Amino acid sequence: MSVLKDTATVNEDDANLLVLIIDTNPLIWTRSAKSTGLSLKEALRHLLVFINAHLALKHDNEVAVIASHVDVSKFLFPIPTPPRLSEDTDQVVDSNLYQRFKVVNDQVIGNMKDLFEDITTLNSYPDKASSMIAGALSMALCYINRIMRADEIGHIKPRILIISISPDSPYQYISIMNCIFSAQKLGIPIDVCKVHGEDTVFLKQAAHITGGRYLKLQIPQGFLQFLMITFLPDRFTRNYQCLPGEEKVDFSASCFCHKKMIDIGYVCSVCLSIFCHPLEQCSTCRTNLILASVNECGLKLVNGIKKLDKAKGRESGGST
Amino acid sequence: MPTAVTHFKTNIYECLEALPKPTLDQLYREPATCLAIFRLLPPLARQLVMSLLFTQPISPINLTQSDLRLWVKNEAAALAKFDEALDKLSKLSIMTTDSTGYIQMNSSFRERFQDCLTGGGDHQSFGVPCERPAKDKPDITFLDRHAMKQWEEILHFMVGTESTRQPSAAVLKVVTRAKLMKEGKDKQLMITNKGFQFLLQDVNTQVWAFLIQYLDIADELLHMNVVEVLNFFFMLGSLELGMDYSVEALTPTQKQLLDDLANFGLAYRRKKGSSRYYPTRLATTLTSGNSAVVSSAVSSSTSTTTGEDGATEQGFIIVETNYKLYAYTESKLQISVLRLFCELQTRFANMVYALITRDSVRKALKHGITANQIISYLTSHAHPQMKKQVPLLPPTVVDQIRLWEMERNRLVATECHLYKEFRNQGDYEMVLKHATNLGYVIWSNARKRMFSVTEEGHEHVRNYIKKKIAQRKTNGGGVGEAGSGIGTPNNGSPSVR
Repeated sequence: MSVLKDTATVNEDDANLLVLIIDTNPLIWTRSAKSTGLSLKEALRHLLVFINAHLALKHDNEVAVIASHVDVSKFLFPIPTPPRLSEDTDQVVDSNLYQRFKVVNDQVIGNMKDLFEDITTLNSYPDKASSMIAGALSMALCYINRIMRADEIGHIKPRILIISISPDSPYQYISIMNCIFSAQKLGIPIDVCKVHGEDTVFLKQAAHITGGRYLKLQIPQGFLQFLMITFLPDRFTRNYQCLPGEEKVDFSASCFCHKKMIDIGYVCSVCLSIFCHPLEQCSTCRTNLILASVNECGLKLVNGIKKLDKAKGRESGGST
Repeated sequence: MPTAVTHFKTNIYECLEALPKPTLDQLYREPATCLAIFRLLPPLARQLVMSLLFTQPISPINLTQSDLRLWVKNEAAALAKFDEALDKLSKLSIMTTDSTGYIQMNSSFRERFQDCLTGGGDHQSFGVPCERPAKDKPDITFLDRHAMKQWEEILHFMVGTESTRQPSAAVLKVVTRAKLMKEGKDKQLMITNKGFQFLLQDVNTQVWAFLIQYLDIADELLHMNVVEVLNFFFMLGSLELGMDYSVEALTPTQKQLLDDLANFGLAYRRKKGSSRYYPTRLATTLTSGNSAVVSSAVSSSTSTTTGEDGATEQGFIIVETNYKLYAYTESKLQISVLRLFCELQTRFANMVYALITRDSVRKALKHGITANQIISYLTSHAHPQMKKQVPLLPPTVVDQIRLWEMERNRLVATECHLYKEFRNQGDYEMVLKHATNLGYVIWSNARKRMFSVTEEGHEHVRNYIKKKIAQRKTNGGGVGEAGSGIGTPNNGSPSVR
């Protein structure tokens, strides 16, 4: 595998590719603005400075920005055709801003505006409280894969940072998990910054499995400072630094049949799909499962564990 | 490669470190300069700056050095990196420890660098673009070709290729001052050993070495302000390739600079009085710090489009394990560089076949070229086909070149003092033991009762002997008879080890 060449060791001279996934669910951002005062607009200002800081670290650092919206994931930067150069040509160069910062900032802002002006599809998606994290992650991984293939000498070290705001969507469990394992195989750390709301279990697992950082934002006004200290260090510097992060990880899964979050479930012995109740045939790999054995010993076992869990005051969850 | 990069970095570091603090403070008034200097720092130092850069608006936090130390892992390697980072930061007076022990960031650096990241302020430090669009804008290929042509002209002049015209006065001043060339018998400029070393560096390193020399001259001969000159260099590094910038916004000093830099190939102007200038790739990659990438970028774009003389800069060398070297080049410059350490055998229409031999490498070493320079030259100019191999160069060849260098260093001369003619073995051993304990002995021979000590140990050992002799005299005779003493120091005879 040519892509897998030397992803583990990082040199001082290596360039860094940061793929930033911004969760742009407007409903939750409004909620966040009301409760903590951090609106999307404000957060974007912090994020742009953060992007500039990343580009400032090294001449050949690269960045890509993906918006994970309610129903669609979209590249904000880079995009194949640079937008609207004809409209305001006088703004192409600004002598007060480094040209690379300017190109990135202008495109991200412009594309973000376009994204919000286009609200036609907002109504069709079933789960409005969530965002297309799985789609955005896949796009990020594809993009990284392409860049790494083009880079023959293995000079570019990629990483992903997710600015997460919406809660987990159990609908996306399988695809998110697939993304996580692909990222793990490619050696790409996924960092997660949870800006608002409850911890997301899936993304916490993502950070844990891929060796990234998971951090919940505690002081919304200090968003930029949080980003700078925790998420700016490149993979070379991380070897030497102690960074803040979460130690406790919740490994609970969602079932494949009803997309419910479960602590205890049934696992297909062939393809390891997870179900919340026993099935005669696995819906994923079509294997006929013999339920008799499950009914005989399995249920007893499960019940036994449930009782045990209750006795322990349900301290932690695990799947059977 | 590694050597070349460190060479360049230490050079510009040294240059900046040598500046007094007020000059540095003045430098930090330009955001473009802040950015460029920031990028020269080691990775951990950059991270430290970034972590502390925006702390001020929220709440002024006072941190001591040991507080910051908690940010790095408690491992020897990490702590060493941390100390190095803090040392660099304080030398450039970006972060200093004040009298109360708290770490303080240079306030003007903090403000300007914040401006740089947020796009605030009105400083025009990233080049003022021309308002009117140019009539016929040169494209990037043209600029690359122009840059390479100007730069190679200087190099050609240095190797003394015929049919090169005399370069400008500024170039001549720089090469003579940097001792890259010196006047020979008949007033002709001849290339020096330092010049040969210079030729083996990659383009980015060469450009920086040149600019730093130029800075020296600018200060002394042309009476330019160092700050303005440096600011201009760093601004050039932040410009966008292929854009045109306005000359009018420059200070008079910088206009004067621009003329010289255009001569070096760092900028292009259509004619001397033109109101706009175009930075070339040599300029825009100045602060990238990754010279290998730069030189190959410059050359790949030229080679794909021109196919003329200076087009062969991209990887063209194939080295085999049997010390045969094939160079796909027609450039006289490259061939003369190769001749520095190879024996040329045959020349074909598009390639040269040469041998790396002991004699040819020793000739290069005598010129002051190091084995590492040869190796890094071969690495950075390796043919794309070679680049697929791991390791890139055949290890036998690399090792052999290093061995050839080491065999020149078999003898090391040390100044020393020889002690001989001890009366008896006991005396000899007593003095020798004393000198050995202090670590002064270089060589000893028990049978001849001779040993030699280092320059700094001589005084000590002599006093010791005198003291012993004096003691014996007072004790009344004893072993050593009279004043001729225990041993005779034989002054100033260097021994060779």
